[in-house]
Amino acid sequence: MGRRDYLGRLFHETDRDAFLIFLVIMAFFGVFLIFPILYVLRGAFFEGNRFTLTYFNLMVTDPFYRQSIMNSTMIGIFTTLLTSLFSLPLAYLMVRYDFPGKRLMQGILLIPLVMPPFVGSIGMKQLFARYGSVNLLLMNLSLIQRPIDWFGGGFYGVIIMEALHLYPFMYLNTAASLANIDPTLEEQAENMGSNGFHLFRTVTFPLLLPGYLAGAIIVFIWAFTDLGTPLIFEYRKVVPPIIFSMVKDIWVNPMGYSLTVMTLVVSVVFVVFARRFSARRSYEMLGRGHIVPRVRNIRGWKLLFVYLFLLIGVLGALVPQLSVIMTSLAEEWFLSVLPAKWTLDYYRIVVTHDVTVSSIMNSLKYSVFSTTIDLLLGVLIGYLLARKVFPGKDLLDSVAMLPLSIPGIVVAFGYIVAFSRTFLNPFEDPTALLILSYSVRRLPYTVRAAYSGFQQTSVSLEEASLSVGASPIRTMMSITAPLIMANVIAGGIISFSAAMMEVSDSLILAMQEEYYPITKAIYGLNLRLGDGPYVASALGIVGTILVTACLLAANKLLGKSMGELFRA
Amino acid sequence: MVKVTLEGVSKLFGDFLAVDGIDIEVKEGELFFLLGPSGCGKTTTLRVIAGFYKPDMGQVYFDKRPMNDVPPHKRNVGMVFQNYALWPHMTSYDNVIYGLKVRKIPLSERVRRAKEALDIVQMREFAMRYPNQLSGGQQQRIALARAIVTEPEVLLLDEPLSNLDAKLRLETRQEIKRIQSELSITSIYVTHDQEEALSMADRMAIMNKGKIEQIGSPREVYSNPLNSFIAGFIGESNFVDGVVQSVSTDRVVVIAASGDEIHARTPIGELEVDQKVVCSIRPESIHIMDHVAQTSMGIQLFEAEIVSLTYYGVIEHYVLSSLGDMEIKVTNFNPEAKRRLEGEKVYVTFDPEDVDIFPY
Repeated sequence: MGRRDYLGRLFHETDRDAFLIFLVIMAFFGVFLIFPILYVLRGAFFEGNRFTLTYFNLMVTDPFYRQSIMNSTMIGIFTTLLTSLFSLPLAYLMVRYDFPGKRLMQGILLIPLVMPPFVGSIGMKQLFARYGSVNLLLMNLSLIQRPIDWFGGGFYGVIIMEALHLYPFMYLNTAASLANIDPTLEEQAENMGSNGFHLFRTVTFPLLLPGYLAGAIIVFIWAFTDLGTPLIFEYRKVVPPIIFSMVKDIWVNPMGYSLTVMTLVVSVVFVVFARRFSARRSYEMLGRGHIVPRVRNIRGWKLLFVYLFLLIGVLGALVPQLSVIMTSLAEEWFLSVLPAKWTLDYYRIVVTHDVTVSSIMNSLKYSVFSTTIDLLLGVLIGYLLARKVFPGKDLLDSVAMLPLSIPGIVVAFGYIVAFSRTFLNPFEDPTALLILSYSVRRLPYTVRAAYSGFQQTSVSLEEASLSVGASPIRTMMSITAPLIMANVIAGGIISFSAAMMEVSDSLILAMQEEYYPITKAIYGLNLRLGDGPYVASALGIVGTILVTACLLAANKLLGKSMGELFRA
Repeated sequence: MVKVTLEGVSKLFGDFLAVDGIDIEVKEGELFFLLGPSGCGKTTTLRVIAGFYKPDMGQVYFDKRPMNDVPPHKRNVGMVFQNYALWPHMTSYDNVIYGLKVRKIPLSERVRRAKEALDIVQMREFAMRYPNQLSGGQQQRIALARAIVTEPEVLLLDEPLSNLDAKLRLETRQEIKRIQSELSITSIYVTHDQEEALSMADRMAIMNKGKIEQIGSPREVYSNPLNSFIAGFIGESNFVDGVVQSVSTDRVVVIAASGDEIHARTPIGELEVDQKVVCSIRPESIHIMDHVAQTSMGIQLFEAEIVSLTYYGVIEHYVLSSLGDMEIKVTNFNPEAKRRLEGEKVYVTFDPEDVDIFPY
């Protein structure tokens, strides 16, 4: 069959309506994802109409930029290593072993997800600053003479905060992979004489690698591009805060464009490498449907090690949360190990003060709208991908998943430069762009959730409905919708909670107090002298509680499969 | 009751021709089978009739009504899916009554008919269970009840028994046959299981590679297969290549590759001397004799050696080496107590009436 015939056939089989919807969706992505990135690219490579590499050259020659890029990369790498060191054994332990308290642990493990690391940093500064609680305690006990710089000028502070926040992503991905390994594969290997570490190295590890890498992608990109945490640590020698500070000179200094492009390139390269690597190694598990993982019991003295490991790691990861809670309740906490007096005043301020109240309302408003867009587009895209035949389907799939590999800071910077001279101008009213940036960034979650809902719902269920006389609309309403509802709602909740605590987009795009979402209000408050950090902490806790409630609901709906949604 | 007619129906997927210009006429109230190996296009044909695929060429008629442009939900067909496709979020009862609700049948009649349908499949007491609380056989019955409750003009069954275990399959066959003839709905049944087709069908179409090879009653197809594919697919057969030596009104003589002379009845089609042909002899038509007896005068006899035999109680399967070094399968009904041995020399014979000749 010739090419012409083939195209003719494709045209014949194409669902016209599906193709139209596809074009509309692509137009959306074109305007709100591709166009801003192209705009940044142009700004980075062209001065006027002249092609230039001056600013990329500067990244290498200028010691400040060179050092900052180095720092960012190192933060990304060290965070990923630190996270791996903890997450791999943790995943193995949680999937393969049974011990008293495991269920409780599974819940606690997810807590770090709900608070952005930059909020945790506010509390951590109280504990670990030069004259923070820890140093004071150690000096009081005469264990040290002079205060220790725990944060290494901010560098280690950022790494620790990122790792403490991000390890659940890696843990969830790795654990999902591990739980998916058909035990007969390992049993076969044991049957052939392999065991212990050899078995792990030759069979188990290669099989869980795709999940691990998926987690590693998220961790690296996040740590590499996080804006909030270095800002709180006032650590300026990393890329994101530099880009942040350049937003105000976007018309005069192209360096911001170039740094954004560099951030984008590094992220994309990392994603492509990791995907290549895991695609080559992602194996179809032999279709046996339900897999019961091999679970062993731990009893006796070994339990001690398990608890020690969990205590240091998992409970350690809760220190930022606890420190923020303490800060939010401390009437005065200055040059003392523990606050001298406790108060609920800051919560009163949170619910009465103009900026905080409006920030909560703003966040709710932005998130509701962005989630609505995500649900609409997510269900449509999921439906097209799962059920329809049309040219460009693969393209739609890649584009819909693209936001996962594009850092928030790139999207936000792109929006500023691309839309500042349009009616969407964020310098005047960032509402539209905030909503759009939230929805574009979180769209993959709803697409994935809806898609897997459609996948799990056999087409023959819909056909059965048509065959007994129900119209396609009726079929959609009474058969398909109820069956995919749990997935869609869960995807929506995850989108929503992510939008509620979105950092990079919020810090960059929201410039006037009246439009601040929660995160930007926290940032703004923290800069304020006096009660600033305390109110910021209280607001952080309020936001965290909102997000926690959302995630608990999603977890209830999705059960075990929630981890899979966080894959890159 | 409607008549279902397919006229020159073709269906392409990409550049794969799944159904290749087939013509079928299913009579009113008939239980019609589409039988063929997997990938032969039988399910595609069924889905074209259901309206899930639009044919690329040809037309589907219900009586005189062209159906190509009628969407599935307006065709008034009932369909039983291979995986049953019961809606997991509804009880059996809700599954069954759904089609009536959609048709806006008044409540009292709706309930009456749903109960009736559940009675027909003997599932009344399971009405309030969800599909995941039912066994495979029970789900199958609910799927059937759901398909018939709307009193469809055509009932389509897509391998409805393939997910059941062997014993249940036998029972359910009878059940479906009973319900179908009680309701006398024009029904089209897809299967790859020839036993199912032979034991249930009023008529059947044998499909291969998107085309129809033969249409006829089970007896016609089994005893008069039109070609060697059908002879091999429906039941088992031994195929012996040869050349026609002579043709008379009722007998053909074929010289096999081994040089043996095989006598066969004259087939309906054209046959010329020196034409290359295939002789098909079913295993149950071949008889084994230990020695040449007086009574065996005038019948065709071939020397053979026993390669292997398998005893099943009711029957006995032999593999013999005969007609040159060919492997010949023989089924012996009513095996004797005496056991023949592998390597034993015997004779085989068969009636020329039992030999089918196909062009090579």
